[in-house]
Amino acid sequence: MDLLQPSDSALISLYLAGQESAFAILLERHRSRAYTTILLIVRDEDVADDLLQDTFIKAIHTLKSGRYNEEGKFAPWICRIAHNLAIDSFRRGKRTPHLRLDDNERLANTLTVADDGPDDVLAREETHTRLRALIQELPAAQKEVLLMRHYGDMSFQEIADATGVSINTALGRMRYALINLRKKMTAHSLHHYDSNLTPFDPAPVCIQRIAS
Amino acid sequence: MIQTLPHSTLLQYVYNELPPERQREVEEALQHDPDLASTCADLLLAQRALDGVRREPRPETSEAILRYSRTFLARS
Repeated sequence: MDLLQPSDSALISLYLAGQESAFAILLERHRSRAYTTILLIVRDEDVADDLLQDTFIKAIHTLKSGRYNEEGKFAPWICRIAHNLAIDSFRRGKRTPHLRLDDNERLANTLTVADDGPDDVLAREETHTRLRALIQELPAAQKEVLLMRHYGDMSFQEIADATGVSINTALGRMRYALINLRKKMTAHSLHHYDSNLTPFDPAPVCIQRIAS
Repeated sequence: MIQTLPHSTLLQYVYNELPPERQREVEEALQHDPDLASTCADLLLAQRALDGVRREPRPETSEAILRYSRTFLARS
């Protein structure tokens, strides 16, 4: 653990002790994963923003009422709430799914690479938009595992428990989800995201795994 | 070449779910198995692509959540 970064457990304790800034850090740390999980399910930015509010309001109530008992695993917990609310909303179908692809103001808010030109930024955003569409094409079971693991930060065992399958089934679904995505990306020539990578050289292999 | 590790283990490796001793086993295998290393690279590329898809909510949404939290604290 990075000693300069307080753990989620520490932030929750501080929040419950009245430190509002601790909750702001928790929100900043986890909102993107939760929001992406929701958006990839409901496919509507307005609904996703509403559901993100609902997600964190539910968390606030649970935390402040002393009912939180996740033993430090805040990320999977908040993303499970987000996932469940998004699924409920999508099933109710109160709004027609619609992605606003031409929202330049929104795009500007998501920019993180300052030295890229506007063409690069637009090309990357277009790639990401198409990739989001490809994720929607995955079989439901594969998409569910992918969202829970990659954006929900749930372990494969936690996913297995939550979905009522074995860990090997969860792993298999994730494997096929990633294989399918890579095939679709290749078929659609989505290469912008890895334009900085050199062609694969088996040795040496530089491993940069995501943080748990 | 026959891969020395199952894909499921590799998947747990790239998602940082293996204990340290299993991680070292995988890293050892990657150095001697080009097919496994190629598969691992594919998984990492897919991960990278998925990271790029992440989106942020509108700033007003975060502000509304923080405002609710402050109000909730004031009420309780």
